[in-house]
Order: sequence, then C-alpha cells, then structure tokens
Amino acid sequence: MSEFEIEPGATKDSVLVTSESFDNFEQMSSSLEEIKYGNVKPNDDPNSVLTDDNQVESTSNTAETQSANANVKDEYVENSIDWTNKKKHVFVLSTAGKPIYSRHGNEDKLAWLFGVMLGLFKYSHDSIKSIHAGDTTYLFLSKKPLILVAIWKTKESVNQVTLQLNYVFNQIVSMLTLRRLIKTYDERPNYDLRRLLTGVDRLIDHVLDFSENEAAFTLGAIQCLPLALSDRDAISKAIKDACGKIKNLVFAILLGNNRLITLVQMKKYHLHPADLHLVFNLVQATESLKYSESWTPLCLPRFDNSGFLYAHVSYLSEDCQACLMLLTVERDVFFPLSNAKQKIVEKLRISGCMEHINASLLAMEESALASGFSELRHYLYKCKSTAQFYQPALSPPYTKDKIKLMELYKRAYQKMHCSTRQLKLSFERSFDEVVFSWDTKGFELYAIFEPLIDTQKVIHCVSKLLDWIKKREDKLFHLNAYTF
Amino acid sequence: MASNKKVLLKVIILGDSSVGKTSLMNQYVNRKFSNQYKATIGADFLTKEVTIDDRTVTMQIWDTAGQERFQSLGVAFYRGADCCVLVFDVTAPNTFKSLDSWRDEFLIQAAPREPDNFPFVLLGNKVDLEPRAISAKRAQQWCQSKNDIPYFETSAKEGLNVEQAFLAIAKNALAQQNQTVDLYNEFPDQIKLTNTQRPSNGSDSCAC
Ligand SMILES: Nc1nc2c(ncn2[C@@H]2O[C@H](COP(=O)(O)OP(=O)(O)OP(=O)(O)O)[C@@H](O)[C@H]2O)c(=O)[nH]1
Ligand SMILES: [Mg+2]
Repeated sequence: MSEFEIEPGATKDSVLVTSESFDNFEQMSSSLEEIKYGNVKPNDDPNSVLTDDNQVESTSNTAETQSANANVKDEYVENSIDWTNKKKHVFVLSTAGKPIYSRHGNEDKLAWLFGVMLGLFKYSHDSIKSIHAGDTTYLFLSKKPLILVAIWKTKESVNQVTLQLNYVFNQIVSMLTLRRLIKTYDERPNYDLRRLLTGVDRLIDHVLDFSENEAAFTLGAIQCLPLALSDRDAISKAIKDACGKIKNLVFAILLGNNRLITLVQMKKYHLHPADLHLVFNLVQATESLKYSESWTPLCLPRFDNSGFLYAHVSYLSEDCQACLMLLTVERDVFFPLSNAKQKIVEKLRISGCMEHINASLLAMEESALASGFSELRHYLYKCKSTAQFYQPALSPPYTKDKIKLMELYKRAYQKMHCSTRQLKLSFERSFDEVVFSWDTKGFELYAIFEPLIDTQKVIHCVSKLLDWIKKREDKLFHLNAYTF
Repeated sequence: MASNKKVLLKVIILGDSSVGKTSLMNQYVNRKFSNQYKATIGADFLTKEVTIDDRTVTMQIWDTAGQERFQSLGVAFYRGADCCVLVFDVTAPNTFKSLDSWRDEFLIQAAPREPDNFPFVLLGNKVDLEPRAISAKRAQQWCQSKNDIPYFETSAKEGLNVEQAFLAIAKNALAQQNQTVDLYNEFPDQIKLTNTQRPSNGSDSCAC
C-alpha cells in the first residue's frame, strides 16, 4: 500500500479539537470566564460542573424487561399503531420522573411510561445501563439532573445509541447551559422543564435524525465544502480582518450545505467537532434564520457548559446561502458584528470568493465511480489529527437507500472501535457488498466495494484512492488555521 | 439639528410565543406569510425604510422570541427603543393576560425617561381565526387603562391592517423622538450629549 510522509488531510495546525467520537462528553475548561477576565482566573473553578462519565456496560437482564412489557398496555399505545411501530424511541425525563421529551407520540399521554422507566431505573439502584430482551434493547443514561432512555430494535450498538443520547443531552444543555439546568432542579425538583424548552423538541428531533443519518456523527468529524486553498485562505483572512478588532469574539464559523467552509478562532481556543455538530444542527433546523439577522444565546457544551456565548447569525446574502455565525462572550455587540458581517460580504464579493462558494455549493459532488474507481461504491476517509473527513456523492445502490449505507458504516466503525478487541484492518465479504475498514495512526478508511471484487484489487484501489485524496487534500480539507 | 439627520427608529416587538410577531414582520417587510411555525430563537433584526410626512425614516425592528428561556436576552435590546409593540393572539386568552407583564418588564429594563408617555402600540393578531377569545372592546379597555395606547386588530395571514399598524408605530416612535428633542431643547447644555447619544442609538453607539 502507498505510504505517505503525512496522511492526506493532515496539517500542523488543526482547526478542530480532535478526539475519538466515543470519548466522554466532558467540558474542556471554564473557557468563558477565562476569556472574559483576560485569562487571569485560575482554571479550576470550584463551581464548574462536570458531566457524568458515560462509560457503558452492557448488562443483560430479562426479568426487568418483563415488568416493563407488562405495563405496555395502555389505550394510547394500543390505539396508535404508529407509535408502537417505530424502530427507535428516545425519551428524556427528569430525576423526578417528569416527562421532558418523547421522540414519537405526545409525552403527556405517555406520562405513565415515564413513571415505569423511572421505576426501572431506580429499582436497579441507578445502575442499569442497558437491557437486551429479544430483538429490543433498552438503554438508560443518567446525565444529572436528567435521565435519557432509548428503546430500539435496529442493529445499532449500545455505544452508538449512547453517543446519540449524549447529543440529545448536549442539545438541551446548549439551549440552557448546564449550570441553569442544575440550578433549576436544585430549586424546584418537580419543575416541568418543557416550559424552558418550547421549540427545542424540534432541535432534538433534528439532532436524532442527524446523528442517525450523517456519517459526521459516527466518525466524530466534520466535512468541508470543497474549495481551492487560495479561496479558503482568502475567506478566512476576510473574516479575520473584519473581526480582528472586535473584543472577545471567540469563533467565526462559515458553513453551507452542511459543510464547513471555514472556521476562524480566538488564539488558544479550539472548537470540538461535537459542538460544531450542534451548530450545524441549529442552523439546519432553524429556518427563521434565513430571513433576517439573528442574535441568539448558545452554549457550546464541550467548550464551556456553564455559560452562554452569543451568536450573530446571518446568511451571506440572498444569492449566497452560506451561513455565517459569529460567536462572542459579550451579550451586546450585535451592531459591531453586524457591521463586520457587511465588511466580510463586501470583501468576498470583490475577491470573487462569493461566486466560488456558490459554485461549490451548487456543484454536485462526484461519486467514487465518476472519479474513476470502478468497483468502489462509496467510502469515508477521516483524517484523525484534524477531525475532518471526506466522502464522495452517493452512487447506486445507496442513492435510494442511504440508511443501508449508514448501517454498514456504523457496524464497521463499531467493529474497529469495540473496546475489547480493536481491529486495525478488516475485510468483510457478503452477498451484497465488500466492506473494507482500515484504522491507522493517522487516518481511518471505510470503503464499500462491489461484492465480487477480489482482495488484490481492493488493495490496489485503496492505494490509488489514498493518492487521489492526497492530491486533492488542499481542496477537500481545511488546512490553514486562522486566528483572531 | 436632529431633524436634518436621517432618522432611525428602534422598534421592539414583544408578546408570547406563537402570537404571530415574526409573521407580522414578514408580512410587513417581505409581504409573505407561512402557516408553519418557525420559532424565533433569540432576536431577529430587520430594517425597513418608510416615508412619513415626506421624511424618510429607517425602522430598525427587533423581533424578539416569546419563549420563556430567551427572556433574559431580550432585555439587552430594550434599551434605547423608540416604540414598543405588544402583540397578543385574539384567540388565545393567555397571551392577552401576559400583556401586563411584557409591558412592565419592558418599562423596567428599558427605563425610558417618561414611562407614562412612552409609546406602546397594541396589536390583536389572528383576527381571521375563530373563535375569538378576546373582544375588541376588552382590548380597548386595557389600552385605555394604560394611557390610551393605540390598538389595531391585525391578521398577518391576510395582511389585514398590518401596513396601517406599522405606519402608526413609526409615527408614534417619531413623535416620541421629536418630543424628546424638544424636551432637551429646554436644557441647552444637555443637547450635545443627547444628540450624540439618542439618534444614533443602536447603530454604532451600541458598541458599549
Ligand atoms: N391564522 C393565522 N395564523 C397566524 C397569524 N399570524 C401568525 N400565525 C401563525 O401562528 C404561528 C406562530 O407565528 P409566529 O409569527 O412564528 O409567532 P411568534 O410570535 O414570532 O413566536 P415566537 O418566535 O416563538 O415568539 C405560525 O404557525 C403562523 O403561521 C394570523 O394572523 N392568522
Ligand atoms: Mg417569532
């Protein structure tokens, strides 16, 4: 196989914090305080609250499941085949057993079920993590002060669903901050959190779909919009120049089509891919952002879960649907940021970058086949050191069945990252396809081939593919980090 | 003099979630309406130029989120407002009951010089819907009790009365500004200070 000095997509200054996607969802530091008070405060804030460790142990316990099943005899459920037919349920409840969120069905009508779930959870002295019963898995995740529950019949692993529940929790935290969440329940343990979360259910629905369907979540990585290196640099520089003088601006994020265009950040601070996923989720799920400039508080839980950043959010222009988010710790700098945005837009227009962004947003990405890899149906390439990945456009048979493709990837990823035996290389042939997975120090590659391809050809194709990516790395990845 | 300068009016729209604040703005600024509810997160900012008595006036409109969790954010925008628009849904009694607290909160946070004379405008929205829960009479009574706030019945969906309401909003805001200038003229030594602060409020002085 081909050898590189440096794997494709690697760079010395990564824009993103890198990590394994299954790692703990813990806070990085009390960054907000640091920024506000000019780094004079010591890091170990006694009030900073860390989220729970989310190590999962799978335990099988059929007895408990039966008690749950016995209770699944309710009019509402019997009357709504729709509800019982769903493949995966997700619930969020308070430690007092009050319903907060239900993915399918009205959580008020399901209040009895929340009681059962809390009972199960308490009965096992808060220790159950997951139960397998037949083809159904029940997972309980305690994230103080909330309990998250998932019940599913799909092939997803406990790890993957845990990751999903963590995103749900972080989505809630991102709207309220963990500090406020904890304080609310400290003061009123029976509080109905839905009062504070109106409208957030839409974001949770979206983050659940998103994390099921997007490889970015499985890989814990971000995909970039393909752009010439010179364009991406010019865009980053335009942002840096326009915003450089604005006090306490922490991140400037430009994204389009669910891809990162650029990220400029305050020196010393880094964004975690999981936080960036929440930003993508917010932008995708909030259509009202398209019609005006908005100003909204937003907590990025991995960056600092105790406080809000304030976001100036706007699309570049009517003829360029890239969304710019400027995040600051100051709550009243809307106008300086609004002016900065105008300056950025002017610069991008004059330099022609706006057109190039548009061209890339409108361009259909190539499928692997179109790039000359005849028996390669699809692949995911992740550069570990930068937490960025690339995938080609879908091609048959997955154009119509993306879910199948995602299942293959989730299974392959799980296989490579299973805590008991970690594989480095795997070749799996079935009737429908060949799945090739390769985990090296620098990158991960998951590739799906035609079922009849021979091993020799796979090796040849993979090495050709790595060359192909290497040649285009400056276009496919965000290589040069700019800071304020 | 302030009157020669381009006039900028800062308008805040307040009211419970879902009463139709964003829909009213969209009808007014873009002449569009959508049946789908897209909750505002935080605050949305739009500008619109209007001509009032031959003067071109730029309205800076802040459409705030009605949802409870954003209430601490809204207050950052109340300061320096020239007019506050209160909106309720004529088919939802709770949204009418909340008006007092929206108004009180605004007065506390914005702290206008003369709270009793600060221009509010009340909009009873969704008049195209049945059944009505709050009659025009009841709304008007409330307005009278608050120093004669102007009241309009609107439908963002049908574009009913929206233009008229916003024109009244602009006029009231403008009257407030003119009045403020007159008021300050009585104290010449304060003019400088207020001239630099008041009219430009919200554009660059907000860099505070
Ligand atoms: N029939 C009818 N529906 C309306 C009218 N105005 C708004 N709506 C609907 O009411 C819902 C809420 O409207 P929005 O304008 O988003 O409400 P909002 O006050 O901005 O809500 P927040 O952003 O949460 O504070 C939407 O589904 C609108 O389509 C109206 O005049 N008539
Ligand atoms: Mg709104």
